[in-house]
This record gives sequence, structure tokens and C-alpha cells, in this order.
Amino acid sequence: MNNFSISVRSANNIIVIMPNGYVNDLGAEKLEHACEQFFDKGLKKIVINFSDVQFINSIGASVFTSVVQKTLEYSSVLCFTNMKKIHRDVFDMLGITKHVRVFKDERDALNFLKDTE
Amino acid sequence: MKRKWDLKRLIFNISSLVDLGQEVTSSKGYNEKMKTTLYVVTGMFSVPKAALFVYDSNHHRLELLTYKGLREIDGISLYIKARHTKTFNKNEPHTIDEIRNNSFYEHNNNAFKKLHTKTFIPLFAKDEFVGAITLGKRLVRTSYLQSEKDVLKVVANQMAITLHNSSLFKKLTAKVSENKGLYENMRHIYHDTIQAFAAAIDAKDVYTKNHSYRVARYAVAIAGELGWKEKDVEGIYVAGLLHDIGKIIIDKEVMNKCEELSVMEMSEIKKHPQISYDIISKIRFPWKDVAHFVRHHHERVDGKGYPDSLQGEELSDGVKILALADAFDAMTTDRPYRGKLSLFDALREVKKCLGAQFDGKISNVFFGVLKKEIKGEIREAQIIPHLDKDFDPTVINTLLEGITAELSA
Repeated sequence: MNNFSISVRSANNIIVIMPNGYVNDLGAEKLEHACEQFFDKGLKKIVINFSDVQFINSIGASVFTSVVQKTLEYSSVLCFTNMKKIHRDVFDMLGITKHVRVFKDERDALNFLKDTE
Repeated sequence: MKRKWDLKRLIFNISSLVDLGQEVTSSKGYNEKMKTTLYVVTGMFSVPKAALFVYDSNHHRLELLTYKGLREIDGISLYIKARHTKTFNKNEPHTIDEIRNNSFYEHNNNAFKKLHTKTFIPLFAKDEFVGAITLGKRLVRTSYLQSEKDVLKVVANQMAITLHNSSLFKKLTAKVSENKGLYENMRHIYHDTIQAFAAAIDAKDVYTKNHSYRVARYAVAIAGELGWKEKDVEGIYVAGLLHDIGKIIIDKEVMNKCEELSVMEMSEIKKHPQISYDIISKIRFPWKDVAHFVRHHHERVDGKGYPDSLQGEELSDGVKILALADAFDAMTTDRPYRGKLSLFDALREVKKCLGAQFDGKISNVFFGVLKKEIKGEIREAQIIPHLDKDFDPTVINTLLEGITAELSA
């Protein structure tokens, strides 16, 4: 049973993705595919808002490593917002946050990206 | 601070090992399961690009099973000789630099580049080489700490066993499917052989060409309508085909005689169910009661049949079915001593003999299935195709409606 979905918003060439639920199986790959599609279209600013993420396990972490890898390959900017401490700690430990910008909330990330070329 | 991080790392590793355990014991399909386990490993060590290979010892190749984060590598495989596998430390991570001087690396130089391989882990289930994992660059430091290597070894060991078990299961499934195919072939050959026997039996009597085949079909129609299991229906079909096998040793002159048979001749004819039984009971059929059905197909519910004069409930449904199917076909085909009855007259005859020669319940089912066949309600008709086409369906249907109404009253 896959308890994971994503919703996407966009404004001023900035994509905001909101994952929802448990990031704990291969269903989470849809997040990676969505990011890749935006990168392919030339959209290089992505915000992932973690407000509705309940749980991330090693499989979910693997998906995020792929998202980060794609961000590096496409020379894009990836921002994480509204992360729970437990998720932030895991991402710090795995080195994921070294390659993304982490903000307390979505508005901060959008303000940052607005001024970014 | 470092101690706090070590603890967090330890907790993450333990929970990842739990994830791995759940995945390897899940009911997911082979490919999905192996892909998920690869994701667990890459999630644990923050590796965006990785691939999992399974060893094909026949072709000396590591065949790509699943991967993540890589592009244009479908169909990629690594050439590997048995002697190469002996140079590896089982289930331990080897840096690409450690294997660079190995001829295994030289053979697969381009493939390793495409795979962005930084670490190679050979997978062994006990002493058997079963596959390998290639890991690309990590998002954190490139190298692995000794503690991480230890965890990787545990994970690799688990993946090797899963790969091994899954591949054994796959082989077993293929074997089962192959055996099933062989069984089906043998079953067809078996049926063809029995059918050939039936044709040989019927050929002896010029008037009974295809009689056994039709009896078998009628019996199948009734048994199917009664809701018998597929295997039991198959059994009565075979009984129908072979019920007259005993006629093989009855004098051909007697069987084709047009005049009334003498007491001696009749007694000779009446031996055939017993002879059929003697022949059939020597065969170990995969279906139950074939010999029993064959022996008693001339019994009657009033006990005036032969060879054992059984009556009423002493007769099984299978015997009652075969007796009716046999008699009905005899009625609707020409015999040396009389012409065939019309379908209308044959059905009236069956009705007339209810409770004496034929069982009421079985006959009612027979009438019901015939009615359905006439109305086209049965996709694969078993009775109608073998009857003369000169009957009026409306008349027969009315007759059947009347009989079934009378029987259920």
C-alpha cells in the first residue's frame, strides 16, 4: 500500500513540490521523476516543502539522494523547507543538506529564489 | 557532539537494517524486491547511482538486474570468469582502485565508467558467487569508514542470500511451469490414446461408430450440470470412452446380428461390462471410479440390470449418468435389430423408464441440460451436436418443459 503522493505548484519559474505521507517505498520515485521533468523543461528552481511528510526511511532517503544528484547535474537550485528535526538530522548525516538550501518555511525559500539568477 | 551523531547514525543503520529485513521477506515480486533492497543500501550510504547484478555462470556474465540514478545502461553486463570471483573478499566492499589491476576490471573498464562505479561489492551466498553491487560516488565523503564497511558487509550478505533464494525460487518456478507443460502434453497423449482405444472398440461394431465418444460427451454434459469437479468430469469422460472395451473379445458375428439373440448369445453380450472392468481395473488412472463406472453401466435403478443387479442408492451418480448416456445413445442411433428412435420418442422413452431403468434426479438434470443446449444457453454444447438435426426445437422444448414440470411436481 503506497501512502505517498505529491502536489505541485509553480510561480515565477519556481516549482514548489509538496510530498505527502510516507516516503518509504518505491512509490516515492514519482518525486524524483517530477524533479527531473522540471529540470528537463529548463525550470531550475525547486522548493520541496516537507510539511506533510510523516516518515522517511532508507528507501525514501535514497530517493532524495537521487533528487540531489539530478539537481547537481542540471546545475539547479533545490530548497528544502518545513522539515521536522528528525528528517533534518537524517539528511545532515547523509550529506544531503550539503547540496541543498534549507529554510525554515516556504516563504523564506521563495524570497531567496526570487533573488537568485 | 560526535558521540551524539554516532548514536544517530547507529539508530539510522539499525532502522535501515529493519527496512532491509522487511523488504527481503516481503511478498513483492523478484525484481521489485531486489530494486527496493538496492534502494535501502543506497539510502543508508547516500549513494545516488548504483546497480545490482546477478551472476550467470553459464555465460560468465554479471547480468544487470536493477539500478538507480543511471542512464543508458539497459542491457549492460560485466564479463567475469570463475577465477576472478576467487580474488574477491566475500560480500566486502572493494574500491575501484583496489580492483583496477585485476583483469576483471580491464575486461569491463567501459562498463564501470558508465556505471560510475566507485565501489564494487561481490555477493556470495555461503561460498557461491551470486551477483554484485556497484556503488557510485557518495554525497558525503567518498571513502567508507571501517564501521560502515562492516555494516555494508552485513547488508551485502543479506542481499546475497535474497538474490540466491529468489533465483532458486525462479528456477523452481520455471521447472514447475515446464513440468506442468509436460504434464499437459502427457495428458493430451493419454486422452488421444484412450480415444484411439474407444475408436477401436466402436469399429468392431458397424452400428456403433463413435458410440463411446458420444456417451462420453453426454456423460460430461450431465456431470458438468451437476457441478462435478473438473477432474471428476474428466474421469467420467474417460469411463464413457472405455465403457465398452470388453466388447473387444465378444464375437463380432453376435454383436452385429440382425435377428433376435439366443439366450447364449445374450449371455455372451452381457459379459462385456465385467470384461471391461477386468481390463480397466488393471490401469492406474489419475481419476477415481473409472473402473466402477464401467462395470456398472448396465445396472438399473430397479435392480434388474447386470452384472451385479445393484439397485437404487447402491448405484453411484456416476454409474447412473453413464447408464443413461449409454442407453440414450443406443436409442438415438441405428442398431442391427432396429432403427433409431427420433429425439422426441427417445426422450419419452427415457421418461417412461424413470424409476425403473433410469434415476429420476440424473434424468432431470439431463433434460435440463438438453433444454439449455436447445435454447443456446450453453457455450460448448455436448449433446445436440451429436443428434440428428431433423427435430423441431420448439416441440422438443415443450416436451422437456412438460417432463421437468411433471418431475418437479
